[in-house]
Amino acid sequence: MHITPHPLLNRRRFLGNTGTGLGAIALTHLLSRGGLLAAKERESAPGKTPIRPKIDPANPNAPRLPHFPAAAQNVLMIFCSGACSQLDTFDYKPELIRHHGKPMPGADKLITFQGEQGMLTKSPWEFRPRGHSGKMISDLVPHLGSMADDMCFIHSLVGETNTHGPGENFMNTGFTLDGFPSIGAWSTYALGSEADTLPAYVAIPDPRGTPQSSVNNWGPGFLPAAFQGTDFNSSKPVRNLARPASISLSKDQATRDFLNTLNRHRLENYPGDSELAARISSYELAARMQLSVPEVSDISSEPKSILKMYGADESGTPLKDLKAAYARNCILARRLVESGVRFVQLFNGAYQTGGEGVSNWDGHKMLQEQYSKHGPVMDQPTAALLKDLKQRGLLQNTLVVWCTEFGRMPTFQKGASGRDHNPKGFTAWLAGAGVRAPFTYGATDDFGYQAVDNVVTTHDFHATILHLLGLDHERLSFYHNGIERRLTNVSGTVVRDVLAT
Amino acid sequence: MSAKTSSPIAIASAVLLVFGLNARAVSPTVDFQEQIQPLLAEHCQKCHGPDKQKSKLRLDSPKNILKGGESGEPIFLPGHSAESHLVKLVTGADPDEVMPKEGKRLTADEIGLLKAWIDQGAKMPGVETVVAEGITTDHWSFQPVKRPPVPAINSPAVANAIDAFVLDRLNQKGLTPSPVASRETLIRRLYLVMLGLPPTPEDVDAFVRDKSPDAYRDLVDRVLASSHYGERWARHWLDVVRYADSNGFETNRERKNAYPYRDYVIKAFNDDKPYDQFIKEQLAGDAMGEDAATGFLVAGPYDIVKSPDISLTLMQRQNELDDMINTTGTAFLGLTLGCARCHNHKFDPILQKDYYSMQAVFAGVNHGERPLRRKLDADDACNLAELKKTLTAQKQGLEKYQKISAERLAKMPADAQRPPVNSKLNEERFTATEARAIRFTILATSSAEPCIDELEVFDTNGVNVALASHGSVPTASGTLPGYEIHKLKHLNDGLYGNSHSWISDTSGGGWVAITFPQVEQIDRILWGRDRDEAFKDRVITRYKIEASSDLQSWNQIASSDGRKPYEGKPDPDEFLARLTDNEVAAVKQTREQIRATQADIDTLTGNQQVWAGTFSQPDTTYRLYRGDPFAKREPVAPDEPTVFGTLGLAQDAPEQSRRVKLANWIASQENPLTARVMVNRLWQYIFGNGIVATASDFGGNGVAPTHPELLDWLADEFVKGGWSIKHIQRLILNSNTFRQSSQPQPEGLARDAGDSLLWRFQPRRLEAEPIRDSILAVSGALDTRMGGPGFYLLDVQEENVMHYFPKEKFGPLEFRRMIYLFKIRQEQDAIFGSFDCPDGNQVIPHRSRSNTPLQALNLFNSQFVLQQANFLAERLRKEAGDDPKQQVTRAFELAFARRPDSFETSVSTEMIHTDGLESFCRALYNTSEFLFVF
Repeated sequence: MHITPHPLLNRRRFLGNTGTGLGAIALTHLLSRGGLLAAKERESAPGKTPIRPKIDPANPNAPRLPHFPAAAQNVLMIFCSGACSQLDTFDYKPELIRHHGKPMPGADKLITFQGEQGMLTKSPWEFRPRGHSGKMISDLVPHLGSMADDMCFIHSLVGETNTHGPGENFMNTGFTLDGFPSIGAWSTYALGSEADTLPAYVAIPDPRGTPQSSVNNWGPGFLPAAFQGTDFNSSKPVRNLARPASISLSKDQATRDFLNTLNRHRLENYPGDSELAARISSYELAARMQLSVPEVSDISSEPKSILKMYGADESGTPLKDLKAAYARNCILARRLVESGVRFVQLFNGAYQTGGEGVSNWDGHKMLQEQYSKHGPVMDQPTAALLKDLKQRGLLQNTLVVWCTEFGRMPTFQKGASGRDHNPKGFTAWLAGAGVRAPFTYGATDDFGYQAVDNVVTTHDFHATILHLLGLDHERLSFYHNGIERRLTNVSGTVVRDVLAT
Repeated sequence: MSAKTSSPIAIASAVLLVFGLNARAVSPTVDFQEQIQPLLAEHCQKCHGPDKQKSKLRLDSPKNILKGGESGEPIFLPGHSAESHLVKLVTGADPDEVMPKEGKRLTADEIGLLKAWIDQGAKMPGVETVVAEGITTDHWSFQPVKRPPVPAINSPAVANAIDAFVLDRLNQKGLTPSPVASRETLIRRLYLVMLGLPPTPEDVDAFVRDKSPDAYRDLVDRVLASSHYGERWARHWLDVVRYADSNGFETNRERKNAYPYRDYVIKAFNDDKPYDQFIKEQLAGDAMGEDAATGFLVAGPYDIVKSPDISLTLMQRQNELDDMINTTGTAFLGLTLGCARCHNHKFDPILQKDYYSMQAVFAGVNHGERPLRRKLDADDACNLAELKKTLTAQKQGLEKYQKISAERLAKMPADAQRPPVNSKLNEERFTATEARAIRFTILATSSAEPCIDELEVFDTNGVNVALASHGSVPTASGTLPGYEIHKLKHLNDGLYGNSHSWISDTSGGGWVAITFPQVEQIDRILWGRDRDEAFKDRVITRYKIEASSDLQSWNQIASSDGRKPYEGKPDPDEFLARLTDNEVAAVKQTREQIRATQADIDTLTGNQQVWAGTFSQPDTTYRLYRGDPFAKREPVAPDEPTVFGTLGLAQDAPEQSRRVKLANWIASQENPLTARVMVNRLWQYIFGNGIVATASDFGGNGVAPTHPELLDWLADEFVKGGWSIKHIQRLILNSNTFRQSSQPQPEGLARDAGDSLLWRFQPRRLEAEPIRDSILAVSGALDTRMGGPGFYLLDVQEENVMHYFPKEKFGPLEFRRMIYLFKIRQEQDAIFGSFDCPDGNQVIPHRSRSNTPLQALNLFNSQFVLQQANFLAERLRKEAGDDPKQQVTRAFELAFARRPDSFETSVSTEMIHTDGLESFCRALYNTSEFLFVF
């Protein structure tokens, strides 16, 4: 190819062009009609007018300032799909042990998701004190237990549904129904990203597949597609990222240059048209991603000691292979955080396949047998991830969130050896930037059934995460179909007690 | 728990009993002015009085007390103090809701007074004459449409009334309209906006050469008459009504019979069905012989995971009804009725009660399938016999090609790799062997226990000797227990499909054998998982087949060795690979005929099912306090919102009459919203922005119209023109406003960059569907077949919940227009989903237009676009020969509806010289010009 291509659009210069003069005016209006900016100021609540981020169409994920100084720059959200039992991990209930095998008062009348309840059943795993704080954590997750001093537990979360799909939606989008923006989409819509050659928001699905609510967990809802999570993991690359095998590198580059030539030629007739300019810049960013995404996903450069620490070097049995694959996802998560990606969502557990509780934490019938597999797969790699972030100083800027869609019953199901769904009280933990640790907030009742002390709704939980990112959850909103939508719908209160300061 | 399930009346009486002991409760008549008003003034009016009205409540006059606050809850129920909201609040019945929030609580004596007053009938002075303040509004969109005079403007720029209104506003702002665009630009704009497809070079040429003064008007008429028009405009409507072909939520099952609604919408647009009728049919088509139209009611997501937990089930039903109320409100009325589910609407004159009145309208609507009814002819029986004969002949016609393909495969060199197994049908050929029995051993499956719907073993005369009717006997390692349709006998019963199939009891394994009555000479075996192609799970991916002549020793005669690896993407069309283009076209045509014949048969026999509203007489509907299904309040009748009047229906009105009446009210000339909302949508889809920017919200939280007079003029014209959509579109398209150039003017950009005053036609990126359709049209691969079931861009794996995987290979079956894509909720198309394409989970009145790197990657690198670029290259060689210059000209004509300029010719020919025509085509599909309408 001998055409002298027009120099690829220099991003800084491009922004300079679009940020001032006619371009700037054009782009502001372009998006205002799409609903991004204020069409008019609305009084959603007195003193709580929406704060609308100014989105540059040429670079929708350019970094933006938070509403107020933020404790955390970015978020790593670890989500255990299938509803990980609080009673077998972090919520220690001596009364449950004492009443093991006895009926739970009032439980005979309880009808939960799958039906009737059997007897109160203690966890098959022993609990013991961990760290200096002496937090009681079960033997199912000893590695995570060793990090107890860095964690802030919330034992009093409550949800609004006891079905997996809606539950995942609720934890990740604030609504039980499908089609609402995910928390990562809200975060990047507000803040953009510091990583200018990587997606602002990455979702890392479990090696076994996507979670139950699938891509809705990282969907943009009605926000522009620019704020959708890009999903890939250490074994499944970004779709259509790589140059097609049938096209040589030189041909590929020549085609790109030629395309740029035609596009810039067209733009000459449309000076100041920012949507056309944005098109050109999207190809430029795509080209950068083609280099940077494989680079960040390539964990072969990680030293052996790191692979060992995460358990990524294990192999030989299907379970070890699975653990190693999840461990590689954990390493990928760290590398993304390290590269400044604003929001990383790491999944442990996939959609239901092969039967209930086989591919995720949905232990209805054979809890001990199934959790004996899920525990070790999740425990060491996740703990190593936290440890690694800490040793690299990344916890100072990164908020780590561990959560699941809802909890499980303190009773076993009638005629089965597992626990039914229970959204009335479950556990999540936070660590890292802005978080008070070691600390435990809220509590369930004596058996771990219902949150009774300092109840935290999912909206409160989300409000707190946004607060740590420097965002006011009541002012971060988007007008859609007649409603000023928020991640926290119409409620939510920041849980100030879990904040470091 | 117990409190929730106890009857409120029981609790109320208990409370009454307690307070009944209070001396004051039995005291003489309580006087409102003397005793109650001072009490309200002291405790309540600080927040609910003249200065502040928290929750929009005032308690300082009888009128305001009767009106209540935004919760929608009446302040008291005369005669029933214990059930009265006010009493519950001041007694602290719910610890989360105690009044007053600040200041002194009421004493027991004061509460007793209040209760006594309510129990005595809550008399207030003049209460006989004081009626709760009627709900009124002066919001613009609730006022009747009045046809405004057309501004008198003398200007050559005025072609019709639309231009006069637009120019009037431009003049006021000191802006000038843009000149008329070139004919090439105009025809491309018209086609893309109205049809979603580019014009052919021949279309362009004819228009450019047309010397008639009516050339443009005639072109508009031709475009509006095209059947592609309905496909383009139906897609917009499907956005507004959240249409998709799956249930959504985690199970996300397919809705294979949702498409009749889509076809109905396409046809409605093509036929220019009067919009009032279109509305009525969607809400109550069952009363008008249009069953499919009621797909509207149930097109939204539907959670099929039911539980014995009653609170879950009740809430699910509330959400289903909410979806219908919301979609009806936003689509037809531009009203966010859903906002009044828990309290009175915050911005619009919609009461909480109104929400439940609407709920009562839909309370008898359920999700599901039912037979698509059709009026039958007298000689239907005769037709049916004829059709069945035709179907058999057509199926044989199809088999002929499969045989041809199989014969060619057999002749291929032995070392050529065999195709991967597929779910439909697999063939094993081997040298003729003597066999008394054959044994099929399964070594691996795509999922779960393997399934075989029929195992056919052919002798050298082509007779299937495995059939039970031949005397052959099946045996197996084990059979999945509990399913009549999967018993071993189905292995060789001569019946195809999942309902007559064998499933092993071993996941990923098992064996099955067939013993013949005598030794046979066999040379061919056919087996499949489901020849009806409904199921693609449980496919056997590794296997061996052995034969035995003595029932003791076994020799392998076939196996999966040498097959291409199974990739989880069963490909029943693999046989097409060995057919010529003409043969493939013939197969396609035959399939189409089979489908049509089958559809005719299904309609006649009543077998055609449709996903549409199913109806039953509902129980009474109640207003729910705060939207809580456990907090039932007063019963409500089905009705339109109070502010507009009443439908006059009883609480137990027949189900269908509820929807019919509502539809008649929505579709009436007097409804101030209906016509305005629709003409605004038509405007928005043509210009990119509506006159009202918030297309589904004409309420107080929406944006005011930029051209209110124009909007009203159009609305009036719409109704006067018999609700003809094409009439309004013809007016818009023939205006000079539409025909303006899209090039920017500095003055316009500086003063009105968003083009809300329409000083130019604003260029914009096309949506996902016209991009994909245009790529196919330009490459020449587009299949323009209309209607019927959709095509898949995802492979389906069926378990308890459905799993979907994007296809990697694309053939003619995937080359239809994207509106016919089988739309799976959540699972966006892997390439075009990223272009802000909705997934049907939410009502989308206006699509975003992002430009993202993922879009760029998908267009630049996907197999689909590369394949189409290769097709385009082939087409260019065929149509323009080998001269690059000619090829470039033809390519620009096809893709951009114009000739290249000299710079473009020179860089393009050089590109073709150095890097080939295919690379040039790949770039073309990625250009801004291709992706935008100008």
